[in-house]
Amino acid sequence: MTEQVTFRINGVERTVTVEPDLFLLDVIRDVLHLTGTKRGCDNATCGACVVVVNGKAVKSCTFPLDKVDGAEVLTVEGLAQGMELHPIQQALVESGAVQCGFCTPGIIMELYALLEQKPEATEEELRNALNKHLCRCTAYEAIWEGALLAQERMAEG
Amino acid sequence: MEFKYIGQDIIRPDAVDKVVGKAIYLDDIYLPGMVHAAILRPEYAHARILSIDTSAAEASPGVIKVVTGAGCNLHYGDNIKDLTPMAVDKVRHIGEPVAAVIAETPQQARAALDKIKVEYEPLPVYTDALQAMAEDAVLIHEKNGEYWHLPTLNPRPGTNIAHYYRLVKGKGAEGFAEADVVVEGEFLYPFGSSAALEPHGAIVWFKEDGTIEVWSSSICPFIIREDLAHAYGRPVADVRVHIPEIGGCFGYKSDITVEQTVAYIASFVPGRPLKWVATRKEDFTSTLIAHGIRTRMKIGAKRDGKLVAIKTTIYHSTGAYADTGVNITIGAAHNSTGPYEFPHCDLEGYCVYTNTPPVGAYRGYGHQEAQLATERLMDQLARKLGMSPFALRDKNYLGEGSITALGEHLWKTNGDIRACAEKVQQAIFAEPKPPEDDKYYYGRGFAALMKSPKGAPFSTKGCYLKMNIDGSVSVNMSGAEVGQGLRTVIKQIAAEALQIPPEKIHVYREIDTQYTPYEWQTIGSMFTTQGGRAILRAAERLIAKLKATAAQVLRCDVDMLEYDGEFVYLRSDPSVRVAVTRLARGYMYEDGITVGELAQATADARLPRYSGPDEHGQGNMGVTYTFGAQACAIRIEKKTGKIIIDNFASAFDVGRVINPRQIRGQVLGGVLMAIGATLYEELEFDEEGRLLNPHYFRYHIPTLKEAPPQTVEFVETPGEIGPFGARGLGEHPVIGVAPAILNAIYDAIGVEFYEIPVTPAKIKKALAAREEVAS
Repeated sequence: MTEQVTFRINGVERTVTVEPDLFLLDVIRDVLHLTGTKRGCDNATCGACVVVVNGKAVKSCTFPLDKVDGAEVLTVEGLAQGMELHPIQQALVESGAVQCGFCTPGIIMELYALLEQKPEATEEELRNALNKHLCRCTAYEAIWEGALLAQERMAEG
Repeated sequence: MEFKYIGQDIIRPDAVDKVVGKAIYLDDIYLPGMVHAAILRPEYAHARILSIDTSAAEASPGVIKVVTGAGCNLHYGDNIKDLTPMAVDKVRHIGEPVAAVIAETPQQARAALDKIKVEYEPLPVYTDALQAMAEDAVLIHEKNGEYWHLPTLNPRPGTNIAHYYRLVKGKGAEGFAEADVVVEGEFLYPFGSSAALEPHGAIVWFKEDGTIEVWSSSICPFIIREDLAHAYGRPVADVRVHIPEIGGCFGYKSDITVEQTVAYIASFVPGRPLKWVATRKEDFTSTLIAHGIRTRMKIGAKRDGKLVAIKTTIYHSTGAYADTGVNITIGAAHNSTGPYEFPHCDLEGYCVYTNTPPVGAYRGYGHQEAQLATERLMDQLARKLGMSPFALRDKNYLGEGSITALGEHLWKTNGDIRACAEKVQQAIFAEPKPPEDDKYYYGRGFAALMKSPKGAPFSTKGCYLKMNIDGSVSVNMSGAEVGQGLRTVIKQIAAEALQIPPEKIHVYREIDTQYTPYEWQTIGSMFTTQGGRAILRAAERLIAKLKATAAQVLRCDVDMLEYDGEFVYLRSDPSVRVAVTRLARGYMYEDGITVGELAQATADARLPRYSGPDEHGQGNMGVTYTFGAQACAIRIEKKTGKIIIDNFASAFDVGRVINPRQIRGQVLGGVLMAIGATLYEELEFDEEGRLLNPHYFRYHIPTLKEAPPQTVEFVETPGEIGPFGARGLGEHPVIGVAPAILNAIYDAIGVEFYEIPVTPAKIKKALAAREEVAS
């Protein structure tokens, strides 16, 4: 039996057929071909697949599709306005937080969910959010600096 | 020397693509008609395959074909052709390909795997070199010695020893007769994984026109191309390999890893591109793992601390296939002197087949593993001699006037390790350490390090520069960008060499063996050095072409002309000049007649006089060295045994800093990787050779909260080989980390550790044992 779910992703309404064993990440990548969201592990550990669903950062690799019906989904492709990067994206570019880039989209979406909800998030809250993401390149220093810079820029509006 | 663009923090050319999610990695590639594969892994780490029944899997929904290794007689490998793309009659490790399902979707392929029935006859399993070297050990490769191998390798037929390497300098082990004091120990750097965030993957497409097209998350496209051409009897030019963005490498995406297996599977569905991407579990079990090195070392010195002799034996559990491991055994052996001069060396390495996944590079080729022993023993020797560990090291550092184990002479231009040591000493040892308190023991540790690259005599890197009609320049090379930032480095070096602002230099993204220049492989921290020199040489040729055209236009001798990035002008009268934009496609006169050549140039660069080993195991196998020093201040929590690093300091003599932010990033990341290896990372195999922790949640890599503060400094003694004096740095930051931490643990609690990872449980056990002795 196949079911369909309808949701808005990056502002566009999409209806997809739900096959058994598929999760949100499979649909984002394999059906909608939004390949900015990455798959880094098998079991919701690495954070590379994080997207924003109804304002919350979720690991899309284990996020069931029935919970997406009617939801608002945002992926890394949905942040920039044309040629203008989102302040989080711009901050990570400038701080040198991007190396191989595989963990970057997940981190950007994590920060987006946190800072949109709570622009005045404490350093502890930022640290807790970033601690959910694995990065093998940077030792996190430049990511941390980028996160603080992004927060500052977003506060300035 | 004044630089315009070297030494600046320019932004990476690929950063924007990566933050908007538009950078294309292997798994982001979808091709028309593409099919997907899933691969069955064995239940045993060493077993004969008695039968494989694929009938149920073939009937599974979406399945196109099920493939086994039956009848496959393809052997491949760059150093030893001991690999097969799929198990033929036996399996030798737990991650080996046994069969593969080809289906329309990855889910369908995976769903059918369980339906393949395999009967095995289990064989004895060896997960450690010492077990596999036992007299009565069963052979993992019955044909050891019969496989094609490089003439410099020495397999021992009838044993599990895939290669034995030995280097003798001076009197070798007889040199110990001159020693007053000797220290020795056995150290273990266990199995680990590079564990990059992007798993390995490849797409292979056997096309109807007879050509083969490949995409892979690899850093050695030209090796893959030659290897596949050889395997399938095609001209090398008919195999085209593309390298998209790579989500981290750290070593294990070098050499040929998964591509031959994916190609073998794809060869059963000619005409259709076939994609396979590793699950995280497969990335741990079925690509290349790391280390597996046991080092027995003995060091002898005079009473005044002058080192006289070293004896090292490396027992390398290289895994089920030795093709990628042999160079790690060799590197571990000849780099085991660390940054010290020993008049007498006897350095040997056993590269031993074991029933574990094959070991490959991991930020170096045996350097960190062997130098764990060297740097721990130097501290022990200092205590035995009653000397300061710094003074002992200072007396023996390699540098101007000394000769390495390989027999290479070092000069001032090879770098200044003393300056590095001084910097980290200042950072960590300037103040006295805090006294023990209720909660913590405090300790500090130091390690110096040396790294030679891993090259090959024919290893070279090509560069193609194309000047455009507006004076902008396109750079094409085949260095693999794995995150290290080589595109930024290329941009800055090309800008400096051509005196053109970086904004007008466009650096390639994709590597494509059809269009991009030859490069051996992007390994051994060699890109800046070799690739950078290739850029300088190509730039010189490009400028020469511009001058040759200008000489015709300005009607003068070419050697009277100067170039400044914008104009070619007469040295004696700079007002006589022609703009480079007028020269890029040759110079066109008003009547349309054009003279001169297109402004484009190619060049390549290899290390000067790099050689293979001679009969003593010596040779020009380093050529360029980078020296450094690392140190840390730690606290050990009494209650939990947890090690907290309060500061980790590193200093390297890199010759020349090209991009300060990027080079700092390289060091920070490398140090944290090695902190992971020292404190928690270990691939744990049970006695049956099954991997117990093939997931990130069981193989824990450091997170943000576990990243300690770091001090990173550089010394810049220009070298003679790299561009503007620059030397390599990518792998080096991992080398001194484990010994620095283990030396700090000794300083804190007086306990000698000989193995990593040092977990809180091991610290608590050591503390309990210490109390028992005291009471």
